[in-house]
Amino acid sequence: MRPLLACVLGLSLPISAAAQRTPREIVDNVDRVLRGNSSHGKITMEVVTAHWQRRMDLAVWSLGTDYALIRIAAPPKDAGTATLKAGTEIWNYLPRVDRVIKLPSSLMGQAWMGSHFTNDDLVKESRIIEDYDITIGFEGMRQGVPVWEFVLTPKPDAAVIWGRIEEQVRRDNMMPTWARYYDERGTLSRTITFTEFRTLGGRLVPTVMTVVPTDKPDERTVIRYRDLAFDIGLEPSFFSLRQLRSGTE
Amino acid sequence: MTTSPWWRIGWRNLGRNPRRTVLTATGLAFGYWAVVVITGMADGLVADMVRTATGVLSGQVQAHAPTYLPDRTLYATIGGDEGVDVAALLAAVEAEPGVLGAAPRVYAGGLVSSGATTVGVLLLGADPAREESVSRLAAALVDGRLATAGARELLIGRELARQLDVAPGSELVVVAPAADGSLGNDLFTVAGLYASGIAELDARTAVGPIDAIQALLVLGSGRVHEIAIRIADPWSAPFIADSLARRVAAPGAYAIAFRPWTTFRPELVDYANLSSGSMWIVVLIVFAMAIFGVANTLLMTTFERRREFALLLALGATPAGIVRTVLAEAVALGVISILLGVVITVPVLVWWHYDPIDLSRLFGDFTMAGALVRPVLRTDYPVAMFFYAGGALLVTALLAALYPAYRATRVPPADTLAGR
Repeated sequence: MRPLLACVLGLSLPISAAAQRTPREIVDNVDRVLRGNSSHGKITMEVVTAHWQRRMDLAVWSLGTDYALIRIAAPPKDAGTATLKAGTEIWNYLPRVDRVIKLPSSLMGQAWMGSHFTNDDLVKESRIIEDYDITIGFEGMRQGVPVWEFVLTPKPDAAVIWGRIEEQVRRDNMMPTWARYYDERGTLSRTITFTEFRTLGGRLVPTVMTVVPTDKPDERTVIRYRDLAFDIGLEPSFFSLRQLRSGTE
Repeated sequence: MTTSPWWRIGWRNLGRNPRRTVLTATGLAFGYWAVVVITGMADGLVADMVRTATGVLSGQVQAHAPTYLPDRTLYATIGGDEGVDVAALLAAVEAEPGVLGAAPRVYAGGLVSSGATTVGVLLLGADPAREESVSRLAAALVDGRLATAGARELLIGRELARQLDVAPGSELVVVAPAADGSLGNDLFTVAGLYASGIAELDARTAVGPIDAIQALLVLGSGRVHEIAIRIADPWSAPFIADSLARRVAAPGAYAIAFRPWTTFRPELVDYANLSSGSMWIVVLIVFAMAIFGVANTLLMTTFERRREFALLLALGATPAGIVRTVLAEAVALGVISILLGVVITVPVLVWWHYDPIDLSRLFGDFTMAGALVRPVLRTDYPVAMFFYAGGALLVTALLAALYPAYRATRVPPADTLAGR
């Protein structure tokens, strides 16, 4: 859900009327406002694992919740490698062999480019409103800041991997501060924190997002937005296999 | 047999009616034969299954880094991130008595893709030259040829080839997360197809030269996940694994876990135990049938000797002495039967070991417990069963003698001697 694209696409405008809304509307709003209609961003992704750490520069395009294209710009070894999301399908372009491969559904749970995001995070992020029941778990002051803490519980028939998601949103600027993902046994699986709120592309967004898997607290994936533009007039036709292969910006 | 008169009498009685004695002993000997040969066949089938199940790929002993199992992570190579001197390690393993060969391997989860089809597979990097001495994958080749060391070539299962719609010579895109965090990807050529009969291997595994797979995964040549080891006698695997663990792992700075197939294929051990357990049912049935035949014979002989028993009793022999003669006769009969049984069993075992009964024309090959089984009844040598069956035969003879012995003690001396 929110993970990769939401962060990639930036988050939210302050919404004064938020206080009167239902939890579902607020979460939807946080989710939706972030991505604009269409967006283009430049991101640095830093992945730290027990065995290696690496930085990748990414360029990202998105349209609504259905389309996204992510292309690696650096390091040179991986430059040109790209991922296309169209609906529930994910395609990867591998410049070294000049081939496009479609990811089989059985591998949606695999890590995306070695990060702590999965391919599933790309596909499922658009479905949070449909897949989860949303309630307020806490409303009040946390460290002197008024916040909501929402509890997202999967609907009985939803095909999701999480047992529960908790998300904290600041009431004053509608910025998310963290999201915690629990597995089906109720054990905390990973935590995403949002920090360094700045204005990019004319919107206030958390420019740094950090994912820490609970079972490997020394590992993390940090996403840092360097550049963001909203509503740039992309068409669905832009998100084609041809564009995936093209390697041009 | 010379110490006690009862033994002498019992033994001599067998000679009174040699034809009957020989017939009874032959019956018991055939029971013995049946039990030992059937056990030999069952053992042979189990040994064949173990040999096939471990011989196709896994080997009978495997060496890993202690942290490699059960997660099989890419980074848990033997010797850690630095790796090891693979050639020296292989030489040390092969110096162990009973070891026939050792081969290094790397494993990784990956994707193979052709056209619009992409399948998640287990990538196995193996040393083509060394695999000959460990696994029989080469024998399972049904099309094309083996992969060449250093070349970006893959052997894939026939079922995987069907799913991908490829043939030898086709190109495959291979993608796997590499050890440096990058996405390893390259083009490989399908060199050959194999059909091992093991579903997982045929549908979800791609085998390439170890150096090419290491390059794809950005692993140095000293980094391997596994040393697969083939040994002469599968049942000695636990002992060889122990010995290797003491001898090979200790001197180095790194720990290596050696596991016998009995650990990593426990279901095969379960099957072997079930098979040998069911042999006891065969023993029970065969000797339960024999017991009545023997009892009948002994009942006849004791009845014929009523006058002799009456005389002995009249002369002051105790009933216990009478019982002892009859039991001694039974034991003597049992010993003769065992000797006869061994004489007719051993040649058949040897014969069917070297020239087994082949039922494959009737049944074809089949897969059991994930192992390809050929319906060839090659007998093994069930050494323990020789003794167990012998013991069971003696117990049978003794049990069969109890009632006739009891009857012999109940002979009324005066009436019998008087002919009444």
